[in-house]
Amino acid sequence: MSTSSPDSSALADSTALIVGVGGLGCPAASILARAGVGRLLLCDDDLVEISNLHRQILFDESDVGCDKLSAAARALERAGARAGSIELIRTRLLPDNARELVRRADVILEGADNFATKFLCADACRLERKSVVHGAAVRWQATVFSVGPEGRPCYRCLFEDLPSGDAAPNCAEAGVLGPVVGLAGALMADRALSALLKDEKSFAEFSSYDGRRDRLRAVPVSARESCRLCGSRPEIVEIDYDRYLPPSCAA
Amino acid sequence: MSLFTNRTSNRTTKENRMAIVRIPTPLRTLTGGEEQVQAAGDTVKELIETLEKNHPGMRDRLLDDKGVRRFVNIYVGDEDIRFLDGLSTKLKSSDEVSIVPAIAGG
Repeated sequence: MSTSSPDSSALADSTALIVGVGGLGCPAASILARAGVGRLLLCDDDLVEISNLHRQILFDESDVGCDKLSAAARALERAGARAGSIELIRTRLLPDNARELVRRADVILEGADNFATKFLCADACRLERKSVVHGAAVRWQATVFSVGPEGRPCYRCLFEDLPSGDAAPNCAEAGVLGPVVGLAGALMADRALSALLKDEKSFAEFSSYDGRRDRLRAVPVSARESCRLCGSRPEIVEIDYDRYLPPSCAA
Repeated sequence: MSLFTNRTSNRTTKENRMAIVRIPTPLRTLTGGEEQVQAAGDTVKELIETLEKNHPGMRDRLLDDKGVRRFVNIYVGDEDIRFLDGLSTKLKSSDEVSIVPAIAGG
């Protein structure tokens, strides 16, 4: 599918990696395909479950039990994505493959449902100097944060490290609402398109949406001098598997 | 008489330092579901102590022995307190304090 804007050729030459084809990745992928992004790399290893359907808008009941990537590709092609423009990467983002995968894209959309993957993706993108858009949604709250290719300020400037195991709920434990996660996915796509079009104004801005109050709020994020990833003396200069194991203490 | 006047004045000042605190979804179990509460304090640290008195358990969800937990951000207005004076950040009357924890899900 092509757009009629002068930016269409820039988008057609671009590649986006979508980490997690769930409630965030589905709407984001759909928007990017319809906007004419030339190549979509979809990264996931899950099957479609019936409990996904209220928010993972690329799937329907006939997809339950199928792998998400095949179902997503079918839906995106029905929506007009060019044949061959979608690559299916049937794995999770892991310490072993993270840098190689992000290196292949111009922008990365990270909608993982766990903190280990979020921090791994942040680290890999900074090390490879790739733009990344982080998204999350739990219950009534959603957050989106985009990082420019220079990787500063980064996700670790905002949230320094993994929380302990039970300190923060994920969507499986707390639930997530379709409209809230859909809004966040759309906002992630907007930020990704801005990154691909070299529009830097949305970088370093942390957006949070409170669905109960219907309030979208954006605050600027400053780089932290002491940041372990992008500070003046970074400690994280390679991907180390042990760094993504959550602390075991209970908070 | 002067003592009475001073006490009245102090109480009025304290009341004026009530901040509005926006409570994120994961912490609303501690506030009985309330999405915003009012709490008094001259600084963010004092405000958290007030929150702890009114909503036991709140301090542990926000602080550890090093200060604000590393996956929680606290904003006064639109400013992250890490870029102000941290827990010593002064509060003005009717400041809006937002607690923004990291979330993962979708």
